[in-house]
Amino acid sequence: MASTVIGAGITIEGEVTCDDDVLVQGTIRGKLTSRDAVTVESGAVVEADVTSGPLSVAGAITGNISSSDRVDLQTGAKVVGNVKATRITIADGAQFKGNVDMDV
Amino acid sequence: MATREAVTVIGRGTHVRGRIAGEGDVEIHGRVDGDVALDGDVTVEQGGLVASNVSARRIVVRGAVKGDLVASESIVLEEGARVVGDLRAARIAIAGGLVRGYVQSGDGQSAPRAAAKSAARPVAASAPKAVAAAAPAPSAARPAQVTSNGSPAKKAAAPAPQPTREVVQASRDRGNAPRAISLAGGSPAAKHGPPSPVVPSLKKGAKGALKKKA
Repeated sequence: MASTVIGAGITIEGEVTCDDDVLVQGTIRGKLTSRDAVTVESGAVVEADVTSGPLSVAGAITGNISSSDRVDLQTGAKVVGNVKATRITIADGAQFKGNVDMDV
Repeated sequence: MATREAVTVIGRGTHVRGRIAGEGDVEIHGRVDGDVALDGDVTVEQGGLVASNVSARRIVVRGAVKGDLVASESIVLEEGARVVGDLRAARIAIAGGLVRGYVQSGDGQSAPRAAAKSAARPVAASAPKAVAAAAPAPSAARPAQVTSNGSPAKKAAAPAPQPTREVVQASRDRGNAPRAISLAGGSPAAKHGPPSPVVPSLKKGAKGALKKKA
């Protein structure tokens, strides 16, 4: 269980800053910053710039992504925005539109 | 509503600046600077801090809230709760903690019941605080002393123990009454018996000090 969970049915409009890992099942609009892992589950909607450690996406992200670690776009993920990370995987069936910057 | 949405947790190291809305239960261990408006249960855990208004179905507070609490069903303030703001809900329980604000329970329509309950609650709220509970005692004791002055045989010495009974009776259902007694109880205990006085002993001591001075 992640230390911070944004459950399905919950909408946060604003800025979320975490020291620990975050699990998003609901909606975040604004900005999401975490020092640790961020997981965007299937059905989740993130309309925000995401700054994080390892990022795993199965839901939708609209916004720029900056990760100090790896970014995994899983099947069913929908990402629109630029991605900056040390490593990135895009699974078969993931939708992605944006630039990739792995020069860190 | 029987639907149990996934639990949302705002973790210890998490800071949310903005509005939290939607339906589902939310546990707040971290910090929220923005309105929380939910159809579900909100729990502000120990160490949690909410610096804005909260409206939900049920609200449980063990942490700190600076803002108004509005619940469609109930508000429960548990040990460790610190609330600065108004409380409004059909049912309000203050089982501990500190509150500063206007408390209104009951439905908006049933005003008399709401008024009665809100009048009753502040007593419960002050119960955990020894200082707050002890403070009303002197004011209660003073009139009692005046009325009892007529009946006791020893007018000079007796007034001290006499009012204590009334005070003890009045504050019997407050949990901290024995503590207050043990704090205040002193010399008159031997004369009077088991229940030592709450405040009069203080007064007696003060009188003695005055006599010594004079």
